[in-house]
Amino acid sequence: MGWNVACYSAAMLCALFSTAALLHLSGGDVAKAFSSLVIGAFGSQKALLGSLAKATPLLLVGLGTVIAFRAKIWNIGQEGQVLAGAMCAYWASLWIGPLPYWMAFAVLVLAGLAGGGALGLLAGILKTRFGTSEIISTVMLNYIVIFLLAYLLDGGPWMESGVTVAYHQSPPVNTMLEWPTLFGQGSAKLHVGFLLALGATALSAVLLERTPLGYEIRAFGSNPTALRFRGTDISRLLLVVMLVSGALAGLAGAGELFGTSHRLRAETLLGIGSSGIVVAMVGGLRPSGAMLAALFFGALKSGAIYMRLQSGTPAGLVSAMEGLVLLFFLCAAVATRIQVTVRSEVHA
Amino acid sequence: MENLLSVQNLTKRFGAVTANDNVDLDVRKGEIHCLFGENGAGKSTLSACLYGYYRADSGVIRFKGEIAELNSPADALRLGIGMVHQHFVLVTNFTVLENIIVGSPEVGMFLSKSAARRKVEDLCRRCGIQIDLDREIWELSVGEQQWVEILKALYFGAELLILDEPTAVLTPQQSDQLFAILDGMRRQGLSIILISHKLREVMQSDRVTILRKGRVVATVETSGTTAEAITALMVGHKVTKHVSDRSIEPGRDVLVVDRACALGEWGEDVLRDVTFSIASNEILGLAGVAGNGQKELFEVLMGVRTLSSGGFLLDGDAVAVPTSREMLDRGVGLVPDDRFREGLIPEFGTAENLVLGWQRKPEYRRGPFLDRRKLNALAERKIEEFRIVAASADLPVERLSGGNAQRVILAREFLHAGSLLLANQPTRGLDVAASEFVYEKILEKRAEGFAILLASEELDDLLRLCDRIAVIFKGRIVGIVRPEETTLLELGMMMAGDASNLDGHLNDLSSKALRQ
Repeated sequence: MGWNVACYSAAMLCALFSTAALLHLSGGDVAKAFSSLVIGAFGSQKALLGSLAKATPLLLVGLGTVIAFRAKIWNIGQEGQVLAGAMCAYWASLWIGPLPYWMAFAVLVLAGLAGGGALGLLAGILKTRFGTSEIISTVMLNYIVIFLLAYLLDGGPWMESGVTVAYHQSPPVNTMLEWPTLFGQGSAKLHVGFLLALGATALSAVLLERTPLGYEIRAFGSNPTALRFRGTDISRLLLVVMLVSGALAGLAGAGELFGTSHRLRAETLLGIGSSGIVVAMVGGLRPSGAMLAALFFGALKSGAIYMRLQSGTPAGLVSAMEGLVLLFFLCAAVATRIQVTVRSEVHA
Repeated sequence: MENLLSVQNLTKRFGAVTANDNVDLDVRKGEIHCLFGENGAGKSTLSACLYGYYRADSGVIRFKGEIAELNSPADALRLGIGMVHQHFVLVTNFTVLENIIVGSPEVGMFLSKSAARRKVEDLCRRCGIQIDLDREIWELSVGEQQWVEILKALYFGAELLILDEPTAVLTPQQSDQLFAILDGMRRQGLSIILISHKLREVMQSDRVTILRKGRVVATVETSGTTAEAITALMVGHKVTKHVSDRSIEPGRDVLVVDRACALGEWGEDVLRDVTFSIASNEILGLAGVAGNGQKELFEVLMGVRTLSSGGFLLDGDAVAVPTSREMLDRGVGLVPDDRFREGLIPEFGTAENLVLGWQRKPEYRRGPFLDRRKLNALAERKIEEFRIVAASADLPVERLSGGNAQRVILAREFLHAGSLLLANQPTRGLDVAASEFVYEKILEKRAEGFAILLASEELDDLLRLCDRIAVIFKGRIVGIVRPEETTLLELGMMMAGDASNLDGHLNDLSSKALRQ
C-alpha cells in the first residue's frame, strides 16, 4: 500500500517537474503559471464549480472505458460515442412534444445513452460478425461520426440559420429542455449531469464487483476461452460491454450539450473522449479511481483557462501535461507490479 | 567409477522458499542418473542450476573434478553440459543437419556441411540413432525431433546430457526407442541426468536420486530396489494405488456418441465417425498419443466445437445444437487438459473460480448480486475438503501450483456435475500422491453412478481404473478393449495406429476371446 502511494506520488511529481521544465523552456513564468492554474481550478466557489463541471463528462467517459477495458475490449471510440450521444439527444430534442419536464429530461438522457450505445454496439457487431478489431473499427467510426456532424452543422439541416457568418454550430436548444442546474449560474454552474455521473460511478463499481455480469466482464478480460468453455455466450457479452461502454460516453455528450454548452458544436465535445480514456487509465481501471482522476483532470482543464488568461501560457500545455501525467502514471503502475513480483518471490 | 559431476551442499532459495536445500549429487561417467520426486520437490531447480540457468546461492558444482562457474547456459555448454527441454527449439523448415550445426562455434561465415555431416553421422552410428540428416524437421515425428535435440547437444560436445521429462510427449514405443538410444550413449561413456516422475523410466536408470521438499532423501542403485520402495521414499509414506471396484456393474447408457465427425481449423478431419457409449457407474478410458483428436472430442462433448455430422445422446435425449451452457445445465462436468486456459480464470481467486459457469445460479446470488459470503464459505469448505493449498480464498489461482489448481477444478466439477464427467488428462503434471487423490475422487464418482470419460497418457493408470478403454488414432476410434484382456504393449500398438499390427492385435484379441 505504502509502495503504491509512493509510486503514484512520484509519478505526480515527475509530471509536475516535466511540465515545469516545458514551461520554462518555452519561456514562461513557471511560478505564475502554476499558481494561476491552482487558483483557476480551486480558487473560488466559481472555480470549483467549473472544475466539477469539467470533470462530469470525463468521469462518464472514464467509467465506460473502465468497463470495456476491464474486459480487455479495447473500445477507443469514445470521441465518436460522445458526439453520437449528443447528436442523438439533440435530434430527440427537436422531436420532443410538450411533455412534462421530468419526462422530457428522461427522454434526453435515454437518447444520449442510446446514441453512444448504438455506436459502441455497431463496433461490437463488426467484431462478433466479421472479426474486425474493435481498435480499428471504433477509431474509424469516430471519423464517420465527426464528418457526419460536420455535414449536419455546416450546410446541413442542423446549421444555425439566419446568420450571415457560419459558426458550424446548431441554434441553441430549447431553453425548456436545458438540464437543471445544481449550483451556480451563468458560465460557472454545475448541472444535474454531475449527480448522474456520481450515480454511474457507484453503479459501475457495484456492477463490476458484485454482479454476475461484472464477474463475466472481469473473467472475459482475464481468460475469455475458459469463460466460453463454462457456458457464457461471449459474443453476447462483448455486445453488452460495447453497448454499456458507448452509452456512458453518449450520456457525457448529451450532458455537455443540455447542461453546459446548450448548442451542438464539435469544438465543445471533441477531446472529451480521449481525455476520458486517460481518466480511466490513470484511475487504474477502477470506478473509484476514475472518479479521482476525473476530478483531477477536470480541475486541470478548468484551471488551464484561467492560466491562459493570467500568464499567457499556451493552451497546448494542458494537453501536454495530461499526456505526461498519463505516461508517468502508467510507469507507476508498472512499478507497483514490479514490487508485487519482488514480494511474491520473497513470500512464495 | 569416477564422478563426472559432483554437487556438494547446493542450496537455492527463492525468497523464503528453499527450492534446493544442501543437495548432494554425484553423476558417474557413463550412467543414467534419474532425478525423481514430486512436483515442487526441486528437480527442475536443480537441473536449472546445473545448466547455468539459475545460480545456486551456495554450494559447489564440480565437473570433471574442477569447480564449475556456471553463470549462463553458454558456460554449461562450453564445459560439456547439454540440456534437452520438453519443448524443442528447432527450425522447422531446416534440415536435420542444419538444425544440428546451426549456432555451433565451428560454423564461421561459410557452412562446411560435409565435415559436419561426417561428424554427425559418426555420432548417430555410435549412439544407434537412425535418422535421415537431409529431411526437414516438419517431416519428422515428435520422437525423431527429440533425437535431433539430443544430437545437437552431443555435436556441441556435451558429455553430460540433462533430459527434462523426455517421454511426456512420446508413445510407449517411442519411449522405448529413446531409452535404447540413451543406453547407446551410456555405453559410449556419456552421462545422462533424466528428470522423470514415471516409475517405469526410473527403473531403467542406473541410479536414482530421490528429492523431497528440496532435500535429497536418498540415492539408490536401481537394481537393488523396487518401484514401491522408491515411491515410498519420494512421498515419505506408502501410496495406496486405487483400483476400480469391479463389483459395481455399469448400468444404463448415459452418453451415446454416434458417428460423430468434426473439422479442425483448416477444414481437416479431426474426428471421424467416432462412436462409443458410456454407461452409469462406468469409466471409459481414452488412450491415444496427444493430438489424435482427444481434445476435439472433449470440445464437442462440451458444446464448444460443432459437429460436421453425427451426433450424441445424453440420458437418451439427442443433443441437437449443443452449447456449453446446455451441457453444463444437463449435468456434464469437464476437467480440461489445459487447466489454466480452459478451466480457470487466472486472475480470480479460488472462491470465484469455484462458481465459474454457475455465477448466475440463484443459489450463489442474493437478489441481483453475487453472494460473496456464500462464495467464501463454499471456498473455505472446498479448500479443506480437497486439501487445496492456497493462502486465502481470494488469492489468484495463477499463483497456485498445478496440482492445487487442478483441485480447484475438480472441486467445482464434482460439486456441479450431475451424471457425466469428462476428464481430459486430469493428472497431467501431477505427482504420484496428487494423481492418486484425483483418481480416488473419480472412483468415488463412478461408485455414485456417474459415467466418466477419462483420457490419460498414463496407460498403467487407465488399465487399473477403467471398465473399458477406447483407443483413438487420427480422429478415429480404432478399438475399444477391456483392460483385463489387454496389455500395455497392445494398447501402445493401437495408439501408434499401425494397421497391420492392429489387425494382428485384434486377431490376437479374438483368438484370446475364443480360448477363454
